[in-house]
Amino acid sequence: MDKDASLDAKGQMCPMPIVMLAKKMKELKSGQVLELVADDIGAKEDVPAWCSRTGNALLGVEQDGKIFRFYIRMK
Amino acid sequence: MAEKMCMVVSEGSFDKAMMPLILGTTAASMGMEVHVFYTFFGLKLLTQGNKPKLPGMMRLFTGMIRKKMAKNNIPLPEEMMKTALDLGVNFYACSTSMTIMGVTEADLMKGVKVLGASAFLNLAADAKVNLFIG
Repeated sequence: MDKDASLDAKGQMCPMPIVMLAKKMKELKSGQVLELVADDIGAKEDVPAWCSRTGNALLGVEQDGKIFRFYIRMK
Repeated sequence: MAEKMCMVVSEGSFDKAMMPLILGTTAASMGMEVHVFYTFFGLKLLTQGNKPKLPGMMRLFTGMIRKKMAKNNIPLPEEMMKTALDLGVNFYACSTSMTIMGVTEADLMKGVKVLGASAFLNLAADAKVNLFIG
């Protein structure tokens, strides 16, 4: 999927992927897409919850073994 | 206006240190305004240089759990506290508990505010999420 920035949160456990994601999103402009890479199993539910609560669109999720790739568009 | 989350922490053990910090940093990252009120034994968690231990006999295993957390990239309470303050999480010391526990304003970590029950309840009354951790 097309992206404007990428954030590697592999090896990070809850709550760090979400804390890192929130910080990183502040650097993006409206409409830009961030790829978040995480391997915390909790991220599977946490990232969609963060997106719906903050109003940023989750465009897609890809899973490759234990690794998740989330594509989030800045509102 | 941002949604509010309030927590009351009444115990000063390692696990009680971690829970409000994990939930507080996450809520702040979700755009919520977070207020954490420390009372009774919880107050110790706001004092400078405090190193919380697991409760009861488990305290002997605090070093082990800290090592395990570090190995798994889980931030320790002192690191989480810094992150929480950076994210704008508000930490409050209960004024009455300070007298009971013998804690003075000079003992408190930077960024901690002293409040009474009424001021805290004023915040809690408007909060969507209110949790008691103790």
